[in-house]
Amino acid sequence: MRKQNRINMALSYLILTIASIVILYPLLWVVGTSLNPGKSITSDMIPSNPTLSHYFDLFDPSKTDYSLWYMNTLKIAIITMVVSVALITLTGYIFSRYRFVGRKNSLILFLVLQMVPQFVAIIAIYVLLNMLDLFDTHLALILLYAGGAIPMNTYLAKGYFDTIPKELDEAARMDGAGHLRIFWQIILPLAKPMVAVIALFNFMAPFNDFILASLVLRSPEKQTLAVGLYNMVSEQFDNNFTLFAAGAVLSAVPIVLLFFMFQRYFVSGLTAGGTKG
Amino acid sequence: MEMKKFVAGLSVSVMAIGALAACGGGTDSDSSSKTSEKGSDKPEKIVIWEDTEKAETTKAVAKAFEEKEGVKVEVKEVKMTDQQKKVALDGPAGKGPDIMLLPHDQIGTVVDQGLIAELKEGEKALEPFIDTAKSAVTFDGKVYGYPKAVETPVLLFNKDMLKEAPASMDDLYKLSTDLKKDSKYGFLALWDNFYFAHGPIAGYGGYVFKDNGGKLDPSDIGLNNEGAVEGFDYIGKWYKEGLFPKGLIGGGGGQAMDQLFGEKKAASVMNGPWAVAGYKEKGINLGAAALPTLPNGEPIKTFVGVKTYAVSAFSENQEWAEKFLATLTNAENAQAMFEKYNEIPPVTALQEEAAIKDNEVAAAVFAQAKNGVPMPNIAEMGQVWEPMAAALQLVATGKQDGQKSADDAVKQIKQQIEANNQ
Amino acid sequence: MAAINNMHDPKPEKQTNHRTRAALLSILPGLGQFYNKQFLKGATFFVVVVSYFLVNYDLFFKGAGAGPGDRGGIWGLITLGEVPGVRGDHSIFLMVEGIIALILLFFGIAIYVWNFIDAYRVGKLRDMQLDVPSLKMQLRNFKDNGFPYAMLVPAMVLAVFTVILPLIFTFLIAFTNYKFNNSPPAKLVEWIGIQNFLNIFQVDIFRDTFFAVLVWTLVWTIASTTGVIAIGIGLAVILNQKGLRGKRIFRSILILSWAVPAFITILIFRSMFNESFGVFNTTLLPALGLDQGFEWMTDPTYTRLALIGIQWWLGFPYIMTMTTGILQSIPEDLYEAATIDGATAGEKFRLITLPMILFATAPILITQYTFNFNNFNIIYLFNNGGPAVPAQSAGGTDILISWIYKLSLGSNPQYAFAAAITLVLSFFIMTLAVVQFRRSKSFKDEDMI
Repeated sequence: MRKQNRINMALSYLILTIASIVILYPLLWVVGTSLNPGKSITSDMIPSNPTLSHYFDLFDPSKTDYSLWYMNTLKIAIITMVVSVALITLTGYIFSRYRFVGRKNSLILFLVLQMVPQFVAIIAIYVLLNMLDLFDTHLALILLYAGGAIPMNTYLAKGYFDTIPKELDEAARMDGAGHLRIFWQIILPLAKPMVAVIALFNFMAPFNDFILASLVLRSPEKQTLAVGLYNMVSEQFDNNFTLFAAGAVLSAVPIVLLFFMFQRYFVSGLTAGGTKG
Repeated sequence: MEMKKFVAGLSVSVMAIGALAACGGGTDSDSSSKTSEKGSDKPEKIVIWEDTEKAETTKAVAKAFEEKEGVKVEVKEVKMTDQQKKVALDGPAGKGPDIMLLPHDQIGTVVDQGLIAELKEGEKALEPFIDTAKSAVTFDGKVYGYPKAVETPVLLFNKDMLKEAPASMDDLYKLSTDLKKDSKYGFLALWDNFYFAHGPIAGYGGYVFKDNGGKLDPSDIGLNNEGAVEGFDYIGKWYKEGLFPKGLIGGGGGQAMDQLFGEKKAASVMNGPWAVAGYKEKGINLGAAALPTLPNGEPIKTFVGVKTYAVSAFSENQEWAEKFLATLTNAENAQAMFEKYNEIPPVTALQEEAAIKDNEVAAAVFAQAKNGVPMPNIAEMGQVWEPMAAALQLVATGKQDGQKSADDAVKQIKQQIEANNQ
Repeated sequence: MAAINNMHDPKPEKQTNHRTRAALLSILPGLGQFYNKQFLKGATFFVVVVSYFLVNYDLFFKGAGAGPGDRGGIWGLITLGEVPGVRGDHSIFLMVEGIIALILLFFGIAIYVWNFIDAYRVGKLRDMQLDVPSLKMQLRNFKDNGFPYAMLVPAMVLAVFTVILPLIFTFLIAFTNYKFNNSPPAKLVEWIGIQNFLNIFQVDIFRDTFFAVLVWTLVWTIASTTGVIAIGIGLAVILNQKGLRGKRIFRSILILSWAVPAFITILIFRSMFNESFGVFNTTLLPALGLDQGFEWMTDPTYTRLALIGIQWWLGFPYIMTMTTGILQSIPEDLYEAATIDGATAGEKFRLITLPMILFATAPILITQYTFNFNNFNIIYLFNNGGPAVPAQSAGGTDILISWIYKLSLGSNPQYAFAAAITLVLSFFIMTLAVVQFRRSKSFKDEDMI
C-alpha cells in the first residue's frame, strides 16, 4: 500500500512538472523573443545578445502609439468593469430575490442570447451608434461590452446569490433596512468572490476583443491594445514580431497580476455561482 | 399590485425618452453639418482619407492649399484596404470623407454600389498621366479618379549575392537549385497569392477576363485554359522541388519572405515597391529590375495596380475636392510623394525626371509595367481572388494538380458570379 | 343609489361599473385614473404617454434621419425604401431605424395598455366597495413592488439595444437579398422570403461548404471541449491529493494559461507553429527525430490537431479551478467509508469523485461546449480558417462562426446569406441550451410566476 502510494506521488509530480513545462514554454518563449534584436521570429528562446530596445520602442511615439493604446484600453477596461459589475450584481440580485412578471422568460432569454454571435449585425450596431452620435467613441465600446456581458454574467451572479440564505435579507428588513441598503451593505459583501470573478472577466474583455473595437473606433488615437497588437502581426508585409512580443508581454503582465490577486476568490466564486444548477 | 407595473412603465419611458431625446438631437446636428451653410461657394472644409503612415506629404499639400484657396483640407489616416467598407457606412451616415483612396481594381465595385462620383472634369483631368493609369481609372467609359501611384511587383535582389539581374527564369531556377545545397534560396515569390501568381499564369497565356477592345467580358474566364494550367504547373514546380520553403505558403508567407531576404538567405524576391524601404532598413544592398522572362520566352505579366483618389458620391463639395486632387497629384507634389514614400507617380512629365529615371526601383516598375496587365476593374473581379488563392495553395502544397485546381477555381468563380447576379 | 343596493347584495360589484368606465375613459391616458380620483397617478400617466408619443412621433412615422433622406420609421421597415441613390432611400439604415422605432413603439403601447389595465383594476376595487389606495399607500407600494422593476431597467435597456436589436436585425436581414453586389445606396434591398435558406441547400458551393463546415464544427466542439474537461479534472484531482507538496506553485503555473489573454497566446502559438521558422518545426520536432516537421499551416489535418491542442492548453485551467472547489466540498467520510470497503484509488475516483464533479458542474460543462462551438477567436487568429481545401468557399478549419465572419465581413460579403446561416446556427445552439436549462435542477426549483 505504501509503495503504491509512493509510485502514485512520483507519477503525480511527473505529470505536474510536464504540464508546467508545457504551460511555461510558450510564455517564456515570447519573453525571450521580445528581448531579441531584429524584427523576426527566431527559434532561440534565450537570445545571445538580449536587448530591451523593443520595450523602449513601444513608448517612442514616433514608432508606435503603444502607450496611447494602453491608456485607452485601461480606461475602457476599468469603466467597463465598474459598469458591468454594478449592472450585473444588481440584476442578478433582483433575479435571485424578487418574483415579478416575466422573470422566468427573461432567464431563458438570457441563456439563449449569450449564444448568438453579434458581428453579422455590426451594421445595425453602426446605425444605432450613429443615431445616438456615439460612433467612434470609447463610450460606445463600453456600452457594447457591458451590454454583451449582461446575459452570461447575470446567470453567474444569480446562481451565487441563490446560495446566500434569504433569512439574512428578511432579518435586515425587520430591522428596517431598505431594499438597496440590504443589497449594498449586507448581501454584496458576502458575494465578494463572485464580484471578483465578474470584475476580472469584464476587465479582461477589452484586452481580448479586436473585432468590435476595430469596427466601432475609427480614429487612430482612440485605438485599443488588441487592435494595435493585431495589426503589428497581421499585415502580410513588414511584420514586426519582436515588437509585438514586447507589447504582448507588457499588456499581459497587469492582467496576470490581477489574476493572482483575485485567485483566492476563484474557487468559491466560480463554484458556487456556476454550478448550482 | 398595479403600482409596480406602473413604475416599470414609467422608468422605461423615462429611459426611452432620454435615449430618444439624444436621437432627436443627433438628427438635428447631423443635418446641419451635412450641408455646408455657404452653399457651393466655399465649403468650410473638405475631408480626405489618406493611407495610414503615408499622410505627411498630403498634409503639407493640404496646408499650402488652405493658405492659397482658403478652404481647409482635413487629412485623416484610414488604411486604404479598409476605406471601401467604411465609406459604404460612413457615407450614407453623413460622416464620410469627400475624397477616398482605393486601388483601381475596386472602382467597378464602388461605382456599382454608388459610392463614388464620376469626375466632373472628365478626361481632361487625366492629361498629365501615363496611359496605363488612364485606363485603370476609367470604367465604362467614364473617369472616376486621379491616379496617385502605380505599382507592380518587380525583381528585388541582393547585390551582394547576385551581381546583376538574371535575364531568364531558367537562370534563376538554376541559381536556386545551386543555393538549395547551402539551405539558401535563389528566388522567392508568394505564388500562392493570385496577385503575384497572375504573372506566370498570364505569361503562359492565361487571362482573368477576356479583353474585347478595352471592355472586359466576365463570362469568358481564361484561368483554366491550356496556358493557365501550364502556369499553374510551373508555379507548382518551384514548391515541389523545395526551391520555396513551406513557410512561404499561407498567411505568414509575406513575413517569411521578408525574413529570409532580410537575413540574406534569399538572393532575390518578387515584391512591390512598398517593400523597398523595409529591405534597405535591414541593410540589404538592394537592386531592382523587371522580372526575368519565363521558359517559354514570354515576360512575366504582372498585375499593374494604380492607387486612385476618388471623390465620394456623398460629397457636397465635389468641385473643391477635384480641385484639391488636381493639386495633390500634379508633378511637383507627386514627386514629393515619391521622394518621401517611394510612391511611383504615373505622371508622364516625371518619367524623364532625373530623380525618378535614375531610381532603380522606379525604373524597374516602369519597365515591368510595360509587360504587365492592369488589374481588371469590373466588380466581378471580387469573385476571383479567393477561389484562385485556394487553387494556388493546393498546387503549392502539392495536394492537387494544376488542371484540377484551375478547373475547380473557375467553376467556383462562375458560380459565385452567378449567385451574385441572382 | 348603487351604494344603497350594495348593502344587501352578495355580489355588490355587479351594481356599479366603475371599471368599464374608467377603462374606457383611459383612451385619453390618465383620464381613467382621474375618474378613479387618483389624480397624481392620472397626471403622471397623461404626461408620460403623451410626451412619449409626441417625442417619438418623428421616429415612428417619419424617420430619425440616420441615413440620407428624411423618411423612415415603420414605413421604412415595411418597404425598405422606394428610391435608390445617394440622396434617396438607404434600405439598411431604414431597416435599423424601423426596428428601433418598433421597439420603442412597443414600449409606448405597453405603457398605454397598462394605463387601461390600471384604471380597470382600480375601478374594480371601487366596484367592490374597497378603498382606493391613498397617495401615501401608493407611494409605499411604489417603493416596495416597484423596486425590482426599477432596478432592472438600466440593464434591460442596455441589453435590448446591444443584444436584442442586433438579433432582430440579423433575423430580418436573412429574409432579404442584401449582399455586396446588391447594396445601397445604388440599389434597394428587397424582401425575398426564404430564398436564402433554400440557397443553403440548393446552390452547390454553399451546400457542399455548409455540410463540410458543419461536420468539422461538431468534431472540433466535441474534441476540444472534452479534452479540456478531461485535462482540467485530471489535473485538479492530482493537485488535490493529500500530502502533495508545492500545490500553490503548481496551481499558479497551471493557471497562467488562463491569466494571459487568449488573444495574445493564440498569436504566439501561430508564430510557434510557423512551418519554416516556428520552434515546433525548427527545434522541438527535430529534437524528437522528426527533421521535416509537420505542415501545421498548410495541411488541414495538422492545422486541426494544432487547434485542438491549443484549445486544450487555453481551456483547462477554468475547469481545473472549478473542479478544485467541488473536490474540497466532497465530504471526507465518503472516501473513508470506501477505504473500509476496500476500494482502490481508481475505484474511488470512478465511483465517488467523478460523479460528484460531473453532477455539480454539468451546466458549466455544457456552456463549455457551446463556447467552443462559437469559438471564433482561435480559428480566426491561428490560421484564419485556412488552409484552403478544394471546391468550397470556406477554409479547412473554418467553423460555422468563422465562415459566417468570412461571408459577412470578407472581401465579397453575402450579408443575407450569412444571416441565414447565423439563424440556422443559433437555432442549433439555442435548442441545446434551452433543453439543458429546462432539465437543470435550478430551473425546476424555481417557483413559476
